[in-house]
Parts: sequence; structure tokens; C-alpha cells
Amino acid sequence: MAKTQIIPPDSYPQMAGKNDAVKMSRVLRSQEAIQRGADVIEEASHALREGVREHVRALETAIGDHQLTSEKAHEILGFAETAGLAATGRIADGLCRYFDEMEKLAAEPDMEVIALHVSAIARAAYAEDEAIRMGDMVAKELAILVHHKLAETKAALSD
Amino acid sequence: MPGTGLETLKVLIVEDNQHMRVLLRSLLGSAGMHDVQEAGDGSAALAELAIRRCDLILCDLAMKPMDGLALTREVRRSKKSANPFVPIIMISGYTEKRRVEAARDAGVTEFLAKPITAQSLYSRIAEIMERPRAFIRCDAYFGPDRRRKTVDGNYTGPWRRQDDMHDLEVR
Repeated sequence: MAKTQIIPPDSYPQMAGKNDAVKMSRVLRSQEAIQRGADVIEEASHALREGVREHVRALETAIGDHQLTSEKAHEILGFAETAGLAATGRIADGLCRYFDEMEKLAAEPDMEVIALHVSAIARAAYAEDEAIRMGDMVAKELAILVHHKLAETKAALSD
Repeated sequence: MPGTGLETLKVLIVEDNQHMRVLLRSLLGSAGMHDVQEAGDGSAALAELAIRRCDLILCDLAMKPMDGLALTREVRRSKKSANPFVPIIMISGYTEKRRVEAARDAGVTEFLAKPITAQSLYSRIAEIMERPRAFIRCDAYFGPDRRRKTVDGNYTGPWRRQDDMHDLEVR
């Protein structure tokens, strides 16, 4: 077994020299840069929403294939909130957690739980105003459902 | 933002979602980083890295055919790697502990959970510049030091992790 070698930061190439790095990181942490970045996200939100909806359509056709459904749900989770579709992101997050936990338990996911989430994600992704608040409520209800279903699965596995 | 030095950085975005690629490029551009290349998966990224210098990689985890973990291992450990020390920020919606640990053990520099914000992305990049980490080379690992804090500043032994000690005892 070879001895562990520790290579200090000053003995390999860095992104920038020390003085430049200080200057660059100051820019990146400035309120001005952060606000400009937030504006970029805001400007991109319409196109991003269309992107989320493309993935929602793919999610709807993936039902039955757990691997693919999980992948699509994670894709939606990845940028729905950035696209301004917060409720869609939260419901997708619930579905992702459900898939991840069931995978950890090596248990078969419940089709009803998946279908309810997919249907709610699709509705939330096209919702406006009032319906968005409904989406938040649906996300909470589905989170409770996932909690119960996981508890049931864990209890069944420990019997 | 000309003259900040950020415009000199060469960044590679490795992401299979076109919308995320566009968003990341726009966010980098907004901060002054305009020298940006894109790749749709790990294999395309390796082809890009073979012909072009890169100062920073932003990389998704789940991609096909080559995912972000395989790309990171290849960048860190392959003899063909042009820069095994290049900072890698893994950006992913898969945030369970085991996935984050797998990313860390592959050799990523930072992990950023999706959904991202401008602030979260910029602060990860700034963090790498402000506090570059030592690299560790041992039998089972090459990459940034996986320990963020020194538990005992006096320790000068060859083993960097509790598991290394265990390996020694087992052997």
C-alpha cells in the first residue's frame, strides 16, 4: 500500500492567481452580479417553462417504466422552480423522494402514488395564479401520502 | 463585466438538458464568463477536454451514455487527462446522501443541488477561488481533500480518513 500523498494548492495549477482570484470572487459575491444573474433567470423563465412542459409530457408517457419516470421527475425537479413553477417543482420533489426511498428499501413503487404525482405535476405545470396556490396544497397532501406509503412499506418489510 | 479577470476563464458545461445548458451559459455570461463550451454527456466532454484548455467544469450527474461520476473519475485518474486538478462542480437534482458521497468519492470539487439560483452558482465558483483545497493521492482515491476541516491540527500521519486506518487494520 502506497503512502498517501498530499498535494497543497500552491503546487498545482489554479483557476487564477491569488490576487486575481480575490478580485473575481468579490465580483461573483457582489449584489450587482447576483441581481444580474437573477434577472437572467427571470428573462429565461418563459423558455424554461416550455422546457419543463416538454419534460412533463415525457413524464406522462413514461408511467409504467419506473426508471424512466424517476429520471424525468428528477429532470423536472432540477429546473421547474428556476422556471417559476414552484408547485411543479415541489410535487416533483415529492415523487423523487418517493422513488429514492423505495429504491433504498428495494421495494416496488406503488403505481397509484406515481400516477397521482404525475397527474398533479402536469396540472401544476400549466397552472396560473389561483391554480398555483391549489398546486401548493396538492403538494402538501401528496407529501403526506408519500409519508404514509413509505411508513407502510417499511412496516411491511420489517414484518 | 470586462476587466475582472472572469472573462479569461474557460468553462465547460456538461449537461444533457438543453434548457439547463442555455441557462448556465447565460448565468456565466452575465458574470463575465463568456468563453464557454458545452457537451451533452461525459464522452463528449472528454473529447472537448482533449483539444481545449479548461479552467472549470460544470457537470450534471445523470447523463447518458457517460454520466458525471464516470467523467469525474476519468478526468481525475486517466493518464490521458490534460488537467486532473481542474475544478469540477457537480450540479444535480439527485441529492440523496449516497449520491453526494458518490460524487465526492469520484473527486468532484463542489456539489450544487438543483434547482440552482444565480447566488448558489456564483458562490460555489467563488468558494473554489477563495479556498482551493489540497489534493490527495492514495491507492483508492485521487481528488480534492474530502475533509473540509482538520479535526486534530497536530495529526501528521499518512492516513487521511478513518476508512484508510480501517483498511490498514484489516490488511
